[in-house]
Amino acid sequence: MLNIDNLSASIEGKKILKNFDLKIKPGEVHAIMGPNGSGKSTLANVLSGRKGYEIQGKVSYEGNDLLEIPIEERAQKGIFLAFQYPIEIPGVNTNNFLKTSLNAIRKYRGLKELDSLDFLKLVKEKSKSLKIDEKILSRQLNVGFSGGEKKKNEILQMTILEPKLTILDETDSGLDIDALRIVSDGVNALRDKKRSFLIITHYQRLLDYIKPDFVHVLVNGNIIKTGSGDLAQQLEKDGYEGVSAQK
Amino acid sequence: MNFNFEEFQKSNFCFKELDNIRKKSFQNFEARGFPTKKQEHWKYTDLKNIVNNNFKNLQIFNDSKNLQYNNELLIKNYEHNKIILLNGNFIESDFNFEDEKKIKIKSLKSTFENKKDFDKIKDYFNDDQNSMISLNHAFATDGIILDIDDNYLFNKPLIVYNFFDKNAESKIINNKFFISIGEASNLCLVDFYRCEDNIKYFNNTIHNYTIKKNAILKKFSINDSLNNSYNYNSVKVKSYANSVFEVFLLSLGPNLIKNEIHCSLLENFSSCFINGIMLLNGIQHHELKTNVNHEYENCKSSQIIKSVLLDESKGTYQGKIYVDKSAQKTNGYQLSKALVLSDNSAFNSKPELEIYADDVKCSHGSTSGNIDENSIFYLMSRGLTRNLANKMIVKGFLDEVIETITDPTIKKFISEIFNERINKINL
Repeated sequence: MLNIDNLSASIEGKKILKNFDLKIKPGEVHAIMGPNGSGKSTLANVLSGRKGYEIQGKVSYEGNDLLEIPIEERAQKGIFLAFQYPIEIPGVNTNNFLKTSLNAIRKYRGLKELDSLDFLKLVKEKSKSLKIDEKILSRQLNVGFSGGEKKKNEILQMTILEPKLTILDETDSGLDIDALRIVSDGVNALRDKKRSFLIITHYQRLLDYIKPDFVHVLVNGNIIKTGSGDLAQQLEKDGYEGVSAQK
Repeated sequence: MNFNFEEFQKSNFCFKELDNIRKKSFQNFEARGFPTKKQEHWKYTDLKNIVNNNFKNLQIFNDSKNLQYNNELLIKNYEHNKIILLNGNFIESDFNFEDEKKIKIKSLKSTFENKKDFDKIKDYFNDDQNSMISLNHAFATDGIILDIDDNYLFNKPLIVYNFFDKNAESKIINNKFFISIGEASNLCLVDFYRCEDNIKYFNNTIHNYTIKKNAILKKFSINDSLNNSYNYNSVKVKSYANSVFEVFLLSLGPNLIKNEIHCSLLENFSSCFINGIMLLNGIQHHELKTNVNHEYENCKSSQIIKSVLLDESKGTYQGKIYVDKSAQKTNGYQLSKALVLSDNSAFNSKPELEIYADDVKCSHGSTSGNIDENSIFYLMSRGLTRNLANKMIVKGFLDEVIETITDPTIKKFISEIFNERINKINL
């Protein structure tokens, strides 16, 4: 599904990702862990198309050159980035935004656009299954949301948009146990043989709830170690420095 | 600019006193001419220049009253009372939803024909440093005088239709509105503008409002249809104890408009709220100037103005809050935010606080800038095109002000007009 080959990314002359390689097959859940400044968010940004990076290397998504695809088309083709810091947009109603987003994606996929009634039904059902209070949807997009509400909103968006490849950028940071469970329930509910996930996190905690197929340790722009879910536990015990030293 | 005052004077003569006022006002106007940017209050709107560049031969509108207006222009499917003006002249009114005994409406023209009636309003004909006011005093022949009794609550809003037809082409129309809201009465007033055939005209209107004790006036000014008109509106308000004056300004339509709102909070616990949006494109030039005078203690005022500028449009907001030394416990707030979305558009903002009392709470803020790229990225990462993302953000930015409208039916009405306009705009 996703093939990252020899990817380097710099911002303002500073190289963040260095000859980075990663392959994600359909149905796989990959976790990327790493210390601050190791390039985790840069990876998420580059994959979702954020401007401002100088990029070298190749990224192919379902056989297409991802780096050539415009931002909105990446979303339409099924890539979803759950933001580390979801943006507050005053005056924009969350429901209305989400409906516009869903319909843009459905239209691209050749599906019938949902009218307000069908959309509301879908939202009700999904928010209920995630135990998210649907009231947040009648508020302005992320405006005045608590940290937890913002992240829950990201997960609700993911659940409704049903992406093929989801990138969670430190979605777990700052969450309490209950919110963490909502996030992982959302991911687990969506998990199937075709959908893939790239979970970027600092902590092993989230991976107690979402069992990854692979854990990669990213240090200084490069994956220094790859393992199964157990690697996360080892990291928790020995720290990044400990694991780096064992390399 | 050559206005034929003698001819106007002869054809509109009523009685000596009015004639003298007109003569003096005309002399004042002639001495100063249209305002220029050299005058502080006109720094951002050089009216003389604008008039010279856009009118080859601007003449005073002095036609006899024509009663035929196009009733296709009336708003349908919305229950309301009506006052209709055509080219500044009062045509008719319809207060079918109300107890008509509580409402007195007269034309300014009829007041000019009756010295006794005129005496009641003649204090409003004082000379002014502002030459547009002098021009209005000299040439206004019609308009409305609306008096609401005490203790009367309107059932439905009142829409004042300001229609202009081809007879107004290349003319300057001067008229006056006097509105007085009785004690503990309330009124929702909508000023609505429509012109036919995209004619080019200048409209110079003075509004004088009196809001008595415990009364509420909510005024909505809807300048939505794109047109070739040039406008100056001066609104002067006297607010008495416990009264509320709310203004919402939808500034979308004409080539040029300068709106001035002067509100004096004269007695305890009166309040004044002025909110508005400007969404401009092409070569539109809109200015709002507000002047809130806190003359008494415990009064409250707030202004929230948001503007979006495209193409070569220009927008200005000048907002002054004056707090007299006796006006303790004043609560004043002012916010102006603008999105300047093209290199050739511009927004000027001039907040002014003049405070002489020592126990007051006054704050103001003013920002202008572009749309936040992070917001655009967030929306695009959810599948929206850049255009759609821009539109959603701009609409949300302005919608926040529409949300402040406290009357639900009018909020819906204004929302619909606004949505229709923003959907057509290329962002």
